[in-house]
Amino acid sequence: MLPESATESRALVIQQARLGDLVQSLPAIEAVQARYPERPLDLLCSAPLGPVLARSQAIRRIIPWDGAQWRAWADQWTQDPAATLRTVQTFLASLGEIEYDRVYNLNQHARGILMAHLFTSHSVEADQTRQADSGVSPWTVYLQQVAKERGENRVHLADAWCGLCGVRPRGRAPMLDVQRVALPEDLAAIGERKGLWVALVTGAGDSARCVSPSVWASWIQAFLTQVDDGQVVLIGSGQEREAGQAILEATPTLLQGRIWDTTGRTTLPQLMTLLARCRWVVGADTGPLHLATTLGCRALGLYFARARVHETGPYGKGHWVYQYPTQAQPASWPINESIELICGGRRRAAPGWSLWKSHLDQWGVFFDDGTAPQALDLQRATIWQSLSPTLYESAAA
Amino acid sequence: MNVFNENITRLATRYPDLAASIKSAGGGTLTVEPARNGTPSARRSGRWVHSAYDPIREAETWADSHAQSCQAGETIVIAGVGLLYHVEALRKRLSPDCAIAVLIPNIDEFHDVLSARTLGPWSEHITWLFGTPSESAQGLTTTDRPLRCLSYTPAAQPDADFHHAFQQVLRRTIASHIGGQLTITLVGPIYGGSLPIARYVKRALETLGHKVQWIDHSLHAASYEAMGTLRDARNRQLMQSRMAEVLSQWTLASLAESPPDLVLSLAQAPLTLPVLEHLRKKNFVTAMWFVENYRHLTYWQQMAPGYDYWFVFQRGQCPDAFRQAGAKNVSYLPMAADPTIHHPMTLSEDDRRDYGADVSFVGAGYANRRRLFPTLLRQPWSFKLWGNEWEGADDLQSVLQLNGTRIDTPTCMKVFNATTINLNLHSTTGVGVDPQADFVNPRTFELAACGAFQLVDRRSLLPEFFSAQEIVSFQTFDEVPGLVGQWLGDSAARQAMSDAAQTRVLSAHTYAHRMKDLLSHIGVSQPDRVGAVLRGDRQQEALLTRCANDPPLEALLKECPAGQRIELKDLAARVRAKGPSATLKREELMVLMLDEYRSETRDLV
Repeated sequence: MLPESATESRALVIQQARLGDLVQSLPAIEAVQARYPERPLDLLCSAPLGPVLARSQAIRRIIPWDGAQWRAWADQWTQDPAATLRTVQTFLASLGEIEYDRVYNLNQHARGILMAHLFTSHSVEADQTRQADSGVSPWTVYLQQVAKERGENRVHLADAWCGLCGVRPRGRAPMLDVQRVALPEDLAAIGERKGLWVALVTGAGDSARCVSPSVWASWIQAFLTQVDDGQVVLIGSGQEREAGQAILEATPTLLQGRIWDTTGRTTLPQLMTLLARCRWVVGADTGPLHLATTLGCRALGLYFARARVHETGPYGKGHWVYQYPTQAQPASWPINESIELICGGRRRAAPGWSLWKSHLDQWGVFFDDGTAPQALDLQRATIWQSLSPTLYESAAA
Repeated sequence: MNVFNENITRLATRYPDLAASIKSAGGGTLTVEPARNGTPSARRSGRWVHSAYDPIREAETWADSHAQSCQAGETIVIAGVGLLYHVEALRKRLSPDCAIAVLIPNIDEFHDVLSARTLGPWSEHITWLFGTPSESAQGLTTTDRPLRCLSYTPAAQPDADFHHAFQQVLRRTIASHIGGQLTITLVGPIYGGSLPIARYVKRALETLGHKVQWIDHSLHAASYEAMGTLRDARNRQLMQSRMAEVLSQWTLASLAESPPDLVLSLAQAPLTLPVLEHLRKKNFVTAMWFVENYRHLTYWQQMAPGYDYWFVFQRGQCPDAFRQAGAKNVSYLPMAADPTIHHPMTLSEDDRRDYGADVSFVGAGYANRRRLFPTLLRQPWSFKLWGNEWEGADDLQSVLQLNGTRIDTPTCMKVFNATTINLNLHSTTGVGVDPQADFVNPRTFELAACGAFQLVDRRSLLPEFFSAQEIVSFQTFDEVPGLVGQWLGDSAARQAMSDAAQTRVLSAHTYAHRMKDLLSHIGVSQPDRVGAVLRGDRQQEALLTRCANDPPLEALLKECPAGQRIELKDLAARVRAKGPSATLKREELMVLMLDEYRSETRDLV
C-alpha cells in the first residue's frame, strides 16, 4: 500500500463479507475517519447489508454491491458482450465519482482485490489483480497465517483490520445510532415493559456452529424460571423459523408468554431496533452478537466449532464468551453458569468450557479468563511493533 | 361482409396465393362448437383442439408459459393451428421485434378458422408458412434471425408427420449453415456397446469443429468388472451402484473444471438422476443419445426426467413412452457409421484367408442366432462365426472362430472386408427374427460404409436409410440360404449393391450427419444459447461486428486470435496474460470482475 498523503481527497473501505465481519470493520472505519477527519470516507459492502452501517457517523455514503446482479451480468455476457459491458459501465457511472485516492480493501480474495483496483484512481498493475506475495501488507500476511495455522493469536480481527488500514485501534467500542423503525404490531412491546430482556440468537451461518433447539429450550426454561422479570426474544432469519418454532414447542406452555419469536419476521433495521431494546444478547452466531454490541447490548457468546474468542469475540468492554476448546460439538452446555453470569455478574466456569471477559486497551480488545495476564496477552504489543512499527512508536511516545 | 370474407380480404393483401388456395378449399376439418363459456372452440377428428370450457384462458396460460423464454430478435415458429387463440395470446405478449410464424399443414383447417372467428389486426403481424414442409422450412432459414420452435400440441398432433418432416428439413438446413464452435462434454459409459459409439461421436463432433471434453469412464471398467465377481447379488449390485454414483460425482467435478455448452451422454453413462437435476439447477444443458433398444434396457424409465433432450433410434411408441416417463424433449436419431473406422480395406492374402469366408457373422451368441445359424452349416459355401458369448452352442463350434473370444474393431473390419456375404441378424431373446423389428443396428451402416455386401433381417425403419437397390433384406431366416446362393454367384451385382450402399452411407448416414442433426435440434430449441453458438454469434468476427461502436471492447476482441470463438473466460485470460507490468484499463478490470462471477460454477460439486 502506498503511503498516505495529506492531499488525498476521498477514501473507500471495501468490506463484502457477511454481517459479523461488516460490523467488525467498524473499529477500523472509525479509526481511519478519526485519523483523517477532513477526508470523506465511503464504504462498499454487500447490498443487503447496507442498512446496517447506514447511520454510522464515520461513513459518508454506502455503495451497495449486488453480487447476484453481477452474476446475472456474467451470464448475460454470452448473449451480448457489448450490451453487458455497457450495462456494467452504466452501473458504475450511476455510482457517481468512483475513483478514490485511497482504497482500504479488507477482503484479500481475488474479487476484493479487483474491486479495489476498479475503484482506485491510479493505474493498476496486472499482477495485483490476483493475490501475489509481493507488495502485500504485513497484516494481510499475518491474517492469512492465523487463518491457516490457527495458532495462539491474541490480536482481534477488528484490530488487525485497523492495522491493515494503517491506523491504531481507538481503544473504545464503536456504537451505532439506531434508526427507530416500526415493528410488527405483536412485537412492538418488546423492550418497552420493565424486565431483563435477553435476545437469543437461535441459529448460525455455519451449520456446525448451531446450538440445537432443545439446548436453547433448556436455557430459556432455566432462565425464565430463575428470573421472574426475564423476557426472551428469539432472533433469526427466515431459515431459523423452524428452529424458533421447535424452541417454543419444547418450552413449557406457562413460560411461552415471556418468549417473543421474531425469527424470519424482521428486516435488518427492525432487528437493530429489537436488539437495541434488549439488555443482553446470547448466542453462537457472531454476526448478531457483534451487531448487538454496537447497539448497547452486552453479549454472551457460546464459541465452539471454528469460532475463537480472541479473533472474533464481541468487541468492547464487559462482554463474555464461553469457549469450547476443540472443534468437536460440545458434550455439555453452560446453561446455569451463563444465566448466573447474566443475572448476578458472577464468574463461574462450566465443565469443559473456558470463560473469557472482554477488555479494551490501546491495542484494541482482548479477553482474559480470570488468571493473571499471560505472556500471550502481552504478545499483541509485540505484534503491533513488528507489523506496524511507526504506529507502535507513536503509541509509545 | 361475413367473417370469412373479411378475413380473406385481410389475408390477401399480404398472402394472395394463400388466400386463393383457401378460397378454393372446402374446409370441414374442424368442427366448431361453443365451449361452456360460449366462446367458439373446436374439435378435430372428434378430439378437442382447444378447451371445451374456456379456450381463451387456456391459450393465455399456454402463451404465458412460453413468452418468458422468447427473446427479442427471434422468430417464434408455432406448430398447431386450431382456432389460433394461442397464437393471438402469444402475439399480444411479445414485443414487436419478436416475430411469429405459424405453420399451416392443412389448408382446410385454416379455411375453418377463417370462417369461425374474425382475426384482428394482430394477425397482420404473423408470418403464415404454407406449402410443403421443405418450402416452409427453407422460407424461414433465409433470414439470419434465431428460430425458436413451439408446439401447441392439441392442434399440432393430427399433423405430426408434417411437423416432423418440417423439423427435419429445418434442422438439416440449419446444420448446413452451422459455423460456430461448441464446447461439448461427452460422457461415455463404463463398458458395453455404446463405448465405441462414444468414440465415433467424439470424432464426429471434432470433425465438425467443436471442442469435445470426453469423460472416459471406461478407465474404471476393470474395477467395475472386479465388483461383478462378487457372488452375493445384493453386495454386487450395491457396490456397482455405489461406483456409478462416485463416477457420477466425478463427472460433476469434471464439469465444474470447465463448464461446457452441452453435456452429451451416451447410453449407460453413469450419471444419476440427482446429479442431472443438480445440473439443471445450475443451468447446464444435458442430452442423452440412448443407443439401446428401449424395450430391452429399461433404466431410461427412471432417468427420463433428468435429461433436457433425449435422442432415441426407435420411433412409434418409443418417444411416447419416454415422454410418459417424464422426458421433456424426445427426438429420433438413428445409428450411423464412422468412415474413418468403417471403410474398405486392401487385405493381404493371409488376411483374406484368415478372416474371409463365403458367409460370415460377427456378434454375440443371442438366443435367436443360436437357434437359426445351424441351418447355415453343411451348405455348399463356407460359413464363419465370430464373437463371444457362444458358450454351449455345441453345434456351431466347428465354425466359431478364435474360440469364441470377443474380437476388437480392427479384426471386425478385416472380417467385414474379407467376407463375400456378411450376415447381419439383429439380436433378440426369442427364437426367430426380431418380432418387433423396428430400428436399424450400427452394423448395417458399418458394413455399408466398408463397401461390404450384407444380408440383413428386414426392419421397419430400414427403407428410410437404404433402398432395395442398396441393401438386400430378408423377412424370414428361411430365405437366407437361397439368398446366399443367389448372390454368391453374382459378384457384379453384389459389387453394385455394396457400392450404392457405401455411397448412401457416406452421403447421409455418418456420425457427423447425426451430430449435425442432434446439435441443430438443440440449437433450434435453444436459439439464445446453443443455437447462438452454432450460428457463430460467439465467433470473433461476429462479436466484432456487434461491438463496432464500443472501442474498448473492440480493442479487447481484436487481441484475440481470428476465426475463434471468444468467451468471457478467453478475454479474461488474455487480460491476465498481459503480465505483471501491464497497465489495465477500466474495461479490462470489468472483464476480470465479470469472469470472477462467471467462475462461480466451480461451486457445482
